Amino acid sequence: MVRWVRVLGLVVVAVVFVAACGSTSSATNTTPKIKVGLVTDTGGLNDKSFNHLAALGLAKAASTGTICSVGGLQCSGGLSVQGDVVESKTGDEYVPNLTNFATKGYDLVIGNGFLMQPAIGTVAKEFPNVKFAIVDGYCSDANFNDLKLSNCMDLLFKEQESGALVGAIAGLLEKAKKAPKNTNVIGAVGGISIPPVNHYIAGYKWAAELEDPGVKVLVGYSNDFNATDKCKGVANSQIGQGAEFIFQVAGGCGLGALQAAGQAKVYSFGVDADQKDADASVIASALKKVDVAVYDAIQAVVKSSFQAGENRFSLQNDATGYQIDNPLSDGSQLPSDIKAAVDKLAADIKSGAQTPPADIPTT
Amino acid sequence: MGTGAVVARPRPRLPGIVRLARGLAMPVGSVLFAFVAGGVIVFVTGANPLGAYQGLLCGGAGLACAQGENSALQISNSLVYAIPLVMCGVAVALPFRAGLFNIGAEGQLLAGTITATAIGVHFAAWPAVILLPVVLVGGAVAGALWAGIAGVLKATTGAHEVVTTIMLNYAAQWLLRFLIIGGPLQPPGEFSASAPIGGNARLPTFLPNDSSVIVFGLPATVYRVHTGLIIAVLAAAVFAILLWRTSLGYEIRALGQSQKAARYAGVSVRRTVIVTMLIAGAFAGLAGAAQIAGVDHQMTDKYFSDTTGFDAIAVALLGLGSAVGIVLAALLFGALHSGGAVMQSDAGISSNLVLVLQALILFSIAANFLGAILRQIPGLGRRPSAPAPTAPGAALVTEASTALPEEGEPAT
Repeated sequence: MVRWVRVLGLVVVAVVFVAACGSTSSATNTTPKIKVGLVTDTGGLNDKSFNHLAALGLAKAASTGTICSVGGLQCSGGLSVQGDVVESKTGDEYVPNLTNFATKGYDLVIGNGFLMQPAIGTVAKEFPNVKFAIVDGYCSDANFNDLKLSNCMDLLFKEQESGALVGAIAGLLEKAKKAPKNTNVIGAVGGISIPPVNHYIAGYKWAAELEDPGVKVLVGYSNDFNATDKCKGVANSQIGQGAEFIFQVAGGCGLGALQAAGQAKVYSFGVDADQKDADASVIASALKKVDVAVYDAIQAVVKSSFQAGENRFSLQNDATGYQIDNPLSDGSQLPSDIKAAVDKLAADIKSGAQTPPADIPTT
Repeated sequence: MGTGAVVARPRPRLPGIVRLARGLAMPVGSVLFAFVAGGVIVFVTGANPLGAYQGLLCGGAGLACAQGENSALQISNSLVYAIPLVMCGVAVALPFRAGLFNIGAEGQLLAGTITATAIGVHFAAWPAVILLPVVLVGGAVAGALWAGIAGVLKATTGAHEVVTTIMLNYAAQWLLRFLIIGGPLQPPGEFSASAPIGGNARLPTFLPNDSSVIVFGLPATVYRVHTGLIIAVLAAAVFAILLWRTSLGYEIRALGQSQKAARYAGVSVRRTVIVTMLIAGAFAGLAGAAQIAGVDHQMTDKYFSDTTGFDAIAVALLGLGSAVGIVLAALLFGALHSGGAVMQSDAGISSNLVLVLQALILFSIAANFLGAILRQIPGLGRRPSAPAPTAPGAALVTEASTALPEEGEPAT
């Protein structure tokens, strides 16, 4: 009987609530010119990196829209853009989510992530009058071949540049004997062996060996982008082999690699976004400014300068780079001569004097 | 607890309306409870529950769409999600009836996808009349064998099927990862996906596969609902006939009611356990094969995070282990899956609310407090000692816990 009363109470409360908010439904206060839909991959908006950045770029471009309540991000005024986000909970949802935006009269539909390529290729082919943009890939067929559609913008990054800058930090600290144990071994934990991941690792390895020719670079893959324990396992195995820098290139999964580094008292590098807060062991992050690319793509539509095909983002347009994060284990900041050397490398890459490889060099 | 006498007796005859009310009270009540509680959660987080449910209704059933969604497309999407849920729901419900808890529908589904993909890629040149049935049957056989491992272990060593099927899920997941990341099913290139299956291995969609044909204002190819829907409905029908119209079905139900009584009645417990798991696995494997042949056409990383086999447990429980119930529950869960995304884009409410709703429905069934409420209502109340053939959710837990010690005894 008591349960019955409780349930009844709950129903009554809920009905009152529902009735109460029926009257306070929010009204749309502007007439948006451009409607932009963003579909995240399965990492979700709260991945502290890739999807979060894309939503940030959309929020920056949007003056109104539900993005403000979805990602908990602040929207600022500016372009007359309405931005909406849908998180894909499973890979099953890529095609329906992209299709929904396309059917609802959106001007630009953005797919976030390499693994969404065949899905966005399928949908973009069906809706030639809607513009699409894909971060980290192409509108492709099932075999991941570029369909070269005239309504698809490919937003690609030179991840090897960002990877090189954190790799240089590792190499320089090893050479200066300022690493935790000076084992001269460093590691990289990749998600799945796909081009955007391997670009990062290629630059990391190249620059570490450039700065410290004696360094040994361990490369491992978790074969996952979401489950933290898997990356933790790969990182721990590398730490067991003496690695004292762990570069995570595995999205949400990689947060486990950062934690493993923290527990083993070695250093780690974040990826895509500034991951300073993910773990105290993160001394720097390799940046991939997805927000810049997404914002640029929206701008292109707003200014009617949409260009299909490859759009490469790099140090040239300030879309790659690095960020110094937590202090070293003795509490000191990264030595200024090391920072100067890294900045010099960045300048050399930007000027073309140095070119990090896109594919992981074999030793 | 049920006895042999109860098993042998025909189902209790009650006035139709009372039976219907009893049968529907728990699932409908659980869903209502979940939606009310979910509404409260949405409200507490500062959003509008009506807007949220409008988005959900639009995305799930194509009704009350406010922002230009295409209703037909939403229904098509919901059906696409529901198809594997029906078949996996059967794969969970059949062992339920035998007192077995099949947590491994996901692994069995993956075994089906792997086999169907391998066949569909390797024998792409075969004509469709041969290839398509081979793909589907191959998937079903693979699922059956995968589940059969757990069945044989249960029957011979007494290893609990919950543990073995969960472990077999991991085995299937990592086998799939291996196969498409550096393994034999990965085509050259750095992509975590298999090659697509041949055109002859694909289940046709209901609408022509031609984007120049316009249906309900959209290219026909956006409606992905495929003939796997017919297979799913047939699977549910086969399940019902098997359970209620065959001697094997009788043995399965007898086993579920009481293992001891079943044994005295001459049922071979070992054989029935193995056969039940084989058939269940076949349904899940068929789901995987239909998913490959009907929608995905290739294995991708999406199967790393696939939850169909786990959602199917909820579907089977909510459907009260009956064929009609499973179909209805699968439609609901398919609609929730499809509606979540629209809810997020329209109302700005995280589609994770859908996961909360699913969990609340399950919670409500597991807690079975609606049963407790019903007992308080004169007329609808039933004697506590009465058998509960339509409430596997409650019955199963007790069966599962009592089945284990009996397993040590010699089976006939």
